[in-house]
Amino acid sequence: MHDRFWQQALAIARRDLDRERRSGEVAWVTIPFGASALLLVPLAVGINQDVLGRIGTGMLFVVVMLFGVLTAVRRTNLETPAQRDAITLLGVDPVAEFAGKTIASSVLLLLFEVVMGVVALTLYGLDLSNWGWMGVVMPLTAVGLAELGTISAAIAISIDAGPALVPLLVTPLAIPLLLGATQTVELGPDGGNLSWLLLMTAVVLVLAIVGVVTARPLQEIR
Amino acid sequence: MATVLRDVDLTVAGGESVGLFGANGAGKTTLLRVVGTLLRPSAGSARVLGADLDTDERFTIRRRVGMIGHNPALYPELSLLANLEFSARIAGAPVATARGVLGDVGLGAAADRLAGEASYGMQRRVEFARELMLQPDLLLLDEPHSALDPSAVELVEHIVAGVLARSGAVVVASHDVARVAPMVTRTAELAGGSLHA
Amino acid sequence: MTSRIRRRWLDVVAVVAIVAALVFALASPRVADQGDAARMLFIHVPTIWLAYVSFGVTFVASIAYLITRKLRWDLIAGASAEIGVVFTTVAIIGGMIWGKATWNVYWTWDARLTLTAVMLLVYLGYLALRRAIADPEARARRSAVLGILGLVQLIPVHFSVTWWRTLHQTNTFRPRDIQMDGPILAALLISVAAFTIVYAALLRHRYALAHLELEAHEASVAVEGPVAGDAVSAPTIGSGG
Repeated sequence: MHDRFWQQALAIARRDLDRERRSGEVAWVTIPFGASALLLVPLAVGINQDVLGRIGTGMLFVVVMLFGVLTAVRRTNLETPAQRDAITLLGVDPVAEFAGKTIASSVLLLLFEVVMGVVALTLYGLDLSNWGWMGVVMPLTAVGLAELGTISAAIAISIDAGPALVPLLVTPLAIPLLLGATQTVELGPDGGNLSWLLLMTAVVLVLAIVGVVTARPLQEIR
Repeated sequence: MATVLRDVDLTVAGGESVGLFGANGAGKTTLLRVVGTLLRPSAGSARVLGADLDTDERFTIRRRVGMIGHNPALYPELSLLANLEFSARIAGAPVATARGVLGDVGLGAAADRLAGEASYGMQRRVEFARELMLQPDLLLLDEPHSALDPSAVELVEHIVAGVLARSGAVVVASHDVARVAPMVTRTAELAGGSLHA
Repeated sequence: MTSRIRRRWLDVVAVVAIVAALVFALASPRVADQGDAARMLFIHVPTIWLAYVSFGVTFVASIAYLITRKLRWDLIAGASAEIGVVFTTVAIIGGMIWGKATWNVYWTWDARLTLTAVMLLVYLGYLALRRAIADPEARARRSAVLGILGLVQLIPVHFSVTWWRTLHQTNTFRPRDIQMDGPILAALLISVAAFTIVYAALLRHRYALAHLELEAHEASVAVEGPVAGDAVSAPTIGSGG
């Protein structure tokens, strides 16, 4: 890791977050869409409070996961070929680029999760007793989905079918994050949630390693 | 998929500026992108700035290569200044010089304008500002006069002269022989995928 | 004729092996409680084994491609993944038939069945990615990354689904409940060996086909052929008034 690694990574993260701040897509489109998805579920499964209480945490993370996919899809369209060429010729470290994009996506996903958490608590009347674990689960989910999304978007970039492919690439591989997040919160420490937390941590580490190892080959994709 | 370049034999020394001409579809842009390390040739060998393009050496020279292509590479949601500052941060150049360089290219008053709201010509000037700031050893220009007014054309010539003065090299791809002539030391024609120069 | 047999020796061995496996499977004793339905074991277990082998080969070949940049590794990876998807589909259908015969349901949230379905989706995505890219080099690079990511990430998927099913165990489909007497175990091992030979034969054919496709592609962009720019000529309107 060279001196400019973090300078480059943070510059890229800042670029993506600035672009998001200007476009407002997460704030004004994705979040309301997520909220409406959470609203739709009780309309489909019934408004029995016991049922909603049981499925609420799971539905929250299903919505988070699906919108993590949307973030990844959006990323395939975020950079033009000219922009990719330009940043490559600036001498960007591919691993720094992976790190920067992941940081930016993680921040946006975490923001999305927090807002969706509030919506879910309101609509589903969830039991708050283990929700302190959200302080760990939400960041882990955000980082894991961001890593998966960044890698998948890089794989699918510049393919016409890219935006359609990314959901298929991301969704099955995000299952450990979905299960880990839901089980950690629902089981709590008395139910043995530490193993789920460890699994999530392992997933985040594995994805980080894959992202680092494949960063250079993916940067070379034109 | 078809072969674009077949028989290319090109040598450019430090201090030289080569004008690359050819019809539409002749492969000028492809050749520039190969020389710029963005495309890997499927056959043959190439050395650019001492690096073998068929090995990982090509990654080491990228920072020394500047390229301005057809399509501006600015981020439309960021201001002209923010775009330039971003380039500086990635390339390791002093970020504080960005505003001054933007003024040098005549965009000082438009620094805070969003790139998406700037004209094509303005965006091109920002890209020239980037190369002024980064001072590449090899500058690749693809249709550099496109959408530039006369004062901006002088800017291009100034940038080319600066690269040559540092014993760097320039390759200019263009249809416009007359406008490119003042900034090149020799010319080469790409036809039928073939070039010898 | 002799040279044709020599070239197809693996196919011949595969056919013989499958026939032998079939004979042993039908001749093996019936399993208590499950009766003849348990003979699905001799298809289900080998096919899932070969699915894992196939995707493991894809994983190794993907790494080999990224290191060597030799396209033959990508062809092997792609061919193996295709065969793996077929075996996975057969495994799922076999599991569903077995489940229907034994538990009267086509689907249960058994860990293994769920994992197999997830694995199928992952590699359907891999094949979809390969189909979407025409250029062999571009396809190879992207597929290699996904071939690595897919298998590596399936490990935590395996753990997560297995633990989750342990928590939510209700109507579980338990292949391990089957008592493995000697003859049944022997028949199973013969099935596994037979299917492995079938995999090798299929891989050989699919790789050969992929190689021919690559050669055809390279011929279309061969040195002797036209270059891209040859398709562009001077416009006929607007010149000379």
